[in-house]
Amino acid sequence: MTVNAKDMTSTTQTQSPVRSWTQKLVQSSDLGMAPVIAALIVIWVVFEILNPHFLTPRNISNLSAQIVVTGTLALAETFVILLGMIDLSIGWSSVVAAAVFSVTTVFLNWPVWPCVGLGIGASVIVGLLQGLLVSRVGVPSFVVSLGGAMIAEGVSLAMLTPHGGSIPLSDNLSTMIGTLNIAPTWSWILSLGLFAVFAGVMVSQHMGRMKRGAGEGHSVFFVKLAALFVLLVAAVGTLCAYRGVPWLLLIFLGALFACAFVTKSTRFGRHLYAVGGNAEASRRSGINVRFIQLAAFTIAGALVGLGGLLDAARLGVASATVGDSDIMLNAVAAAVIGGTSLFGGRGSVYGALFGALVIASVTNGMDLIGAPSSIRFGVEGAILLVAITIDTLLRQRRLRSGRV
Amino acid sequence: MSTAELLSVRNLHKKYGAVTALRNVSFTVRKGEVTALLGDNGAGKSTTIKAISGAAPADSGSIILEGQEVSLRRPADANALGIQTVYQDLALCDNLGICANLFLGRERVLWPFGILRDVDMEAEALRVLKTLRVNLPSLDTHVSSLSGGQRQAVAIARAVLWGTKLVIMDEPTAALGVAQTAEVLRLVRDLAAQGFGVILITHNMHNVFEVADSVVVLRLGETVLEARKSELTPEIVVGCITGSRTTVGGTA
Repeated sequence: MTVNAKDMTSTTQTQSPVRSWTQKLVQSSDLGMAPVIAALIVIWVVFEILNPHFLTPRNISNLSAQIVVTGTLALAETFVILLGMIDLSIGWSSVVAAAVFSVTTVFLNWPVWPCVGLGIGASVIVGLLQGLLVSRVGVPSFVVSLGGAMIAEGVSLAMLTPHGGSIPLSDNLSTMIGTLNIAPTWSWILSLGLFAVFAGVMVSQHMGRMKRGAGEGHSVFFVKLAALFVLLVAAVGTLCAYRGVPWLLLIFLGALFACAFVTKSTRFGRHLYAVGGNAEASRRSGINVRFIQLAAFTIAGALVGLGGLLDAARLGVASATVGDSDIMLNAVAAAVIGGTSLFGGRGSVYGALFGALVIASVTNGMDLIGAPSSIRFGVEGAILLVAITIDTLLRQRRLRSGRV
Repeated sequence: MSTAELLSVRNLHKKYGAVTALRNVSFTVRKGEVTALLGDNGAGKSTTIKAISGAAPADSGSIILEGQEVSLRRPADANALGIQTVYQDLALCDNLGICANLFLGRERVLWPFGILRDVDMEAEALRVLKTLRVNLPSLDTHVSSLSGGQRQAVAIARAVLWGTKLVIMDEPTAALGVAQTAEVLRLVRDLAAQGFGVILITHNMHNVFEVADSVVVLRLGETVLEARKSELTPEIVVGCITGSRTTVGGTA
């Protein structure tokens, strides 16, 4: 193995860091975000050519709000998919949250914040119960969540049907989050401030790694950081050219970064990936596999509840028809398109953002050029199939080289 | 080299339903020595190892660690006493980095939230890898991109990292090429030289005579040979494994 290690270092040292990085990407069996970002660029270029209104500030602002619900539910699904499982109840479970929220605020006239807690709490219970069945009894998650979806549908209908199937929301919080934007000045202050904190943490981590001779080279790291900054300025600039950053987007990004922290920087996150990668090895290492499974379903439940409330706020109504729409399938598709492997253990919560962007961009672009739903579904389905094919091929590549 | 007794196994018995897997297994492992455990398929090697590692306790018999009888009901019991098993499948998470695997289940964290102290963990990992003279690529390299020998080294380093006295290795060279086998055997010798007790399960007679200090042969759930390597030839060992020879010298 000494020989091998020398081989590795010599090949990387003789090339420029950028070249070795691209080479690593091409030969790698784990492509990360690269395919989905490439797909996103293609989609945007195509729609911009077909309709020059696609990349206007106004449409980008719409798009940024459209990704929020799919993105939040995809975030929830990512926790479960990282374990190699699936949660099919997220659509109806999100309706349960919205129904509980609307009934308690509109008909019981309770103060709004406790109702937010109750709404999210309802979805947490759905996730918790499913997690108990999956982790304690060992029932396959596919079946558990299928049953869970039906029960959640029943609960939603029981609450909403007596009120005609939908309850309009009128509280100030929902109205603000659903329709308003953060003023441009505050958008800039907030986003630049957050980026400064983020960059500070990244740079200090990078320096620590370099000191120990680990991690990527200076040039690759700073190119990535600079690219991120340019992207941020472009995004915030575009949004501020219209009305500022939508509240919906801010909440989604807050949830995204919280999930990124939990999955990447904490012991729980490490164990989540470990159980998804090799449950038996994790068990032998003393990790409480059942607890990790239960926790993943419960966290997913909380995010589903948040997604349900955001959807209700955006539509201004808690409606049962949401559950029948393709909200759940879009979320699963977004997670998979974002590079999260259905085989478990591989992927990132950022995939939820990019996957949701792909789905929302196709939907938005198709609407813009006036294409019928039939074509939209066809295109979205094709993108999903490409994503899952890449995932499967990469897994086979890993299996061929003896690494499961 | 110290020759103090580390682990002593006495009269282990184990039945799986109607099948008697172990009828009378006894042997001793010394500090700083490699004890090779041999036997044909079904001789009881795996069952013995499961009893010592706490994965499947024996029905009767005693396990004595450093002069004290110990009860090993679960793998965690064995780990707490400093007994680590490197399984044949290595039990690594391929989707995680080297350092993450080394500390799996024992991460060093900060409160609140259990934030991973990656810097401290990498420093400690480097220290242990250095004492083992193991050379690996950058510690955040995914285990999936390592060679078989490197993966074996990670699994062994993990066992050492966890305050171990006794390392049990199940067929560590079974899937390796010539150069990698030599490297892993070098690692096994180094472990013993550093004072660890090592139990090496293997089918490869060449490995046995290259690294072992003493040899234990099981046959049909019984210890049929326990001797110093210097008293043995491959023919004697093979004879005991196959049953064509039942006793050797004074040991039985």
